[in-house]
Amino acid sequence: MTSRSSEVRRARPLLGTFVEIAAGGLPEGEAHRAIEAAFAVVEEVQRRMSFHDPESMLSRLNREAARRAVQVDAWTFRVLAAAAEVHRVSEGVFDVTVAPHLQALGFLPGDAPAAAGAPFASFADVQLLPDRHVRFRRAGVCLDLGGIAKGFAVDRAVAALRRAGVPRGLVNAGGDLRVFGGEQRVAIRHPELPQAAHRSLPLRNAALATSAHYFAERWQPGQTLAPIIDPHTGQRVTQVLSATVRARQAMLADALTKVVMLRGEAALATLQHFSADAIFFTTSGEERCSPRWHAALELSS
Amino acid sequence: MSDWKTFAVPAALVLSTSAPCFGTVYFTADQAQKAIFPGATCTPWGGKLTADQKKAIEKASDLRLRKDPQVWRVAGGGWFIVDEVLGKHEYITFAVGLTASGAVKQIEIMEYRESYGGEVRDAKWRAQFTGKTAKDPLRLDQDVKNISGATLSSRHVTEGVRRACALYDIALK
Repeated sequence: MTSRSSEVRRARPLLGTFVEIAAGGLPEGEAHRAIEAAFAVVEEVQRRMSFHDPESMLSRLNREAARRAVQVDAWTFRVLAAAAEVHRVSEGVFDVTVAPHLQALGFLPGDAPAAAGAPFASFADVQLLPDRHVRFRRAGVCLDLGGIAKGFAVDRAVAALRRAGVPRGLVNAGGDLRVFGGEQRVAIRHPELPQAAHRSLPLRNAALATSAHYFAERWQPGQTLAPIIDPHTGQRVTQVLSATVRARQAMLADALTKVVMLRGEAALATLQHFSADAIFFTTSGEERCSPRWHAALELSS
Repeated sequence: MSDWKTFAVPAALVLSTSAPCFGTVYFTADQAQKAIFPGATCTPWGGKLTADQKKAIEKASDLRLRKDPQVWRVAGGGWFIVDEVLGKHEYITFAVGLTASGAVKQIEIMEYRESYGGEVRDAKWRAQFTGKTAKDPLRLDQDVKNISGATLSSRHVTEGVRRACALYDIALK
């Protein structure tokens, strides 16, 4: 509230993290009203897509869709359609059906529904049907939108700010962020020392998301490896320490960080398909940047 | 595959000389009151928690009460509470508005500060990174407002709100 320029910036605990919303270029009262509307939208996304809330649309889907087609709301369907698209383009690397793996490893509450010995499900077992209906082809499918819904919430919040007439602003959901109306600088945490930044990047009308092993939390004690699972092997990622993706939409940036975490350099074709870029850090201490972004950053520095 | 590039300037590792590193002040108590209860008058509660009440609040919320939260009574019904929580990586002051019947109306983060005090000041611990430090203009204090990184959990604030609700049940109701 007290920052230079007439920017109003607020934060609330939502989506299991801190959601920060900034609005600039409006009188203070209007900026506050716009921010309230944007927070309301984030709360609505949380209500519909939370894995932890048994009342959410997502929880209903997980309970019922193996038995019958379930009609979901337009937002949940959009997120599932985007998840399907990234799953297809990444040749199955991005997969929102890894929840049972995460449950088995203690990253998500609940017991893995897959019976012992039965193969884990994949997104190929999820059918998106006309009129926003969703059906699972078999029992044991369990969706967790944690790797994409946060980005979607950021996109919806940005749309709400714009609708309210905010000329420039930012929405940051625990590191998945999007800016609009003028350039802003965004720092990326250093993967080996997350209390420090290692780069400051200019960002204009674009989204940036980061996945990394630091700050990983789980229900049981053990190693802090991020809850990112290779759907092909059921194993956690170990080669990439952190991945930052720039894309037009936060939903895409959010989802694509998982593809880069899992595939490193081999993620380039998927990134290019979505006109996205990435910087990632390997466990051997190397930093890699996709060519188009690299060229732009070298120019701007 | 080999289209990936490396940077001419290696990743900078910038440590501020003293913790905290990242932090933002969003609201003063007065501003948070206006955001949660627009137009309402708030007066300090004036009460004091007894030792028994503190114990009961800790028991009900399963969270220690190191410092008494600040409590205001809202004209026309409701309570405004300012409290703080300490996470593994962060220190947060937050405000919570409760309705007259004790339901959570709104939560606002007032101040967010990441503190790694001991670690950052420990020269030996820091020395392992010195080789990687580059001369980068990036400053961490006031300049860095936007950070992209892995998600920090807001679990501690959720616990703090639960403690505020327990305070209502035990001392304000």
